[in-house]
Amino acid sequence: METLSYLATGFGVALNPTNLLLAALGSVIGTMVGVLPGLGPINAVAMLVPVVFALGLPPESSLILMAAIYIGSEYGGRISAILLNVPGEASAVMTALEGYPLAREGRAGIALSLSAWTSFVGSAIATIGIVIAAPLLAKWALAFGPTEYVGLMVFAFACLTGLLTDSPVKALLAIMIGLGISTIGIDANSGVYRYTFGSPNLVDGVQFATVVIGLFAISELLIMLEGIRGGAASRIEQMGKPLFSWADLTFTNMATLRGSIIGFLVGILPGAGGTVASALAYTTEKRVVERRGTADSRFGRGDLRGLASVEAANNSASNSNFIPMLTLGIPSSGTTAVMLGVLTLYNLTPGPALFNSQPTLVWGLIASLFIGNVILLAINIPLVGIFARLLSVPAWFLVPFIVVVSAIGVYSGKSTTFDLVLMVALGVGAYLLRRQGVPMAPLILGLVLGKILEQNLRRSLSLSGGDITVLWWSPISVTLWTLAIVVLLVPLIVPRIARRRNANAIEAD
Amino acid sequence: MSNDRTLGVAALILAAIMLAFGYGLEAPFAYEPVGPKTFPLIAAAIIALCGAILVIRGGGAVVPAGPGVNRALLSLAASLLAYALLFQPLGFLVSTTLVMVPIAAIFGARWWQGLLAGGSIAMGSYLLFERALAVVLPAGVLAGII
Repeated sequence: METLSYLATGFGVALNPTNLLLAALGSVIGTMVGVLPGLGPINAVAMLVPVVFALGLPPESSLILMAAIYIGSEYGGRISAILLNVPGEASAVMTALEGYPLAREGRAGIALSLSAWTSFVGSAIATIGIVIAAPLLAKWALAFGPTEYVGLMVFAFACLTGLLTDSPVKALLAIMIGLGISTIGIDANSGVYRYTFGSPNLVDGVQFATVVIGLFAISELLIMLEGIRGGAASRIEQMGKPLFSWADLTFTNMATLRGSIIGFLVGILPGAGGTVASALAYTTEKRVVERRGTADSRFGRGDLRGLASVEAANNSASNSNFIPMLTLGIPSSGTTAVMLGVLTLYNLTPGPALFNSQPTLVWGLIASLFIGNVILLAINIPLVGIFARLLSVPAWFLVPFIVVVSAIGVYSGKSTTFDLVLMVALGVGAYLLRRQGVPMAPLILGLVLGKILEQNLRRSLSLSGGDITVLWWSPISVTLWTLAIVVLLVPLIVPRIARRRNANAIEAD
Repeated sequence: MSNDRTLGVAALILAAIMLAFGYGLEAPFAYEPVGPKTFPLIAAAIIALCGAILVIRGGGAVVPAGPGVNRALLSLAASLLAYALLFQPLGFLVSTTLVMVPIAAIFGARWWQGLLAGGSIAMGSYLLFERALAVVLPAGVLAGII
């Protein structure tokens, strides 16, 4: 009951004309950003940081705008995946797997409209999940002191390294580089200058927007250049029937539901966003269908169920990502990390206290997710053709646009050439790291969580007089440390099983 | 040519730099058991550990990009650096219009297309950010004219 009254307050905030307009604007920008390769939600949100400050927006309005962009990009990502076989952003990789073959068969219209619908269902289920789960988690998190906090961060980092199974070592390296960057500047506790190398530009640390824009937007341009020179994909022009039929809907209902639930659960885990969720949903769906007998399986050649579950899952995950972000202050994706960074710029400390002390902010955001998803569904079914036309914007126009907006974003913070040069340097550095397979999202999480982790670690040890065992005195801490170890160990055991399964799956193809 | 070993060595160098500049950090008045240097040094130690693992394990070779791609990448990085350096002295409008010509060219535009792109983006974002959103952009050589 209490929850419902909070939710009502939230809708009051989200339905105020400014916020409603921002949610609609964010939905449109988000879809565009998702469509355009080379512009992910992180880049868009990062480039917006200075703009929301220039507009003097209150924190809840900024978050509503950014959240709409974030969830909107999940809708947009599917368009380029289906029509171009190029995922507009990372979590749409799995979408291309089934969506592009469908489009080549002349069923692009059906694939697009059906995936918009399942995206909506996934999001709606996840937002309902947020309303139920977030207050419970927030209540539990209130018992957290500094030591529990350290345990929580370690758990979050373990999730990041363990779940990004590609290369745990590289993910860990990325986190630590992020932590290292967070220590640059004057140390709040002792007043000592750390890693400033005598430069006055570094005294209060590296500007958040500079790091994010450099790491994501600039490095992405170099990646894009490499891709363009590598060869171009062919675009589907024939849309075919514009809307899915009732039969298509009933055929995919269960897949959508399974995808939504998988996405929701994965999204809650720190560090695992839409990419992990969609991969997991895809493999699950494939297994479910094939276990039932492979007679009607068209996986790999354009199966509507595969498409439905993947799109439901990545949208569900990007919505449930807000649960750990709002209740624990632990972002579970790069984009939510940037949003948390924005909160700190408003002098709001992310963490369990936020959920209870800022009800209008938290519930306004949750309510805006409902509204944003309705807007997204409304614009994504009829207007899909217009968004698809964005794909014909040539790179030689898009890239200068990204460069200029990035530079303005960085410059507006402190108005120094230093920050612009740093942006380029970080961009080139990030490109080199990404080429070596070092993921960037953990780096940004390390950066955002670094200061909070250090403060809590030092506070814990101050309270105990330097006794390090204080970190695992309480039952909550012990639980978190145990979970962290489990998460780290699972990938060491699972790949063997997974590899055997994959081998079977490949044979089946 | 470039593989996980290169990355590992880079990580070790980074850790060494963090250690060299972090080891001497001492608080003038220490009233807490953990000083300013502990946390950076923990991060450095873990970076070093990751670096060591990467060096020992090796592998993970990255497919080298063709010579044409490398040249394009270098010219893009150089153009971006030029933009960063010229942004303030030349001013937003002039530096943007100028530097976007080579950047657009790298992505396949003719020079006049690049000029068109740079000029229109410069003008459009100037009106949007400086005039409508009150983000202060440098006037540079056009100071006093605009």
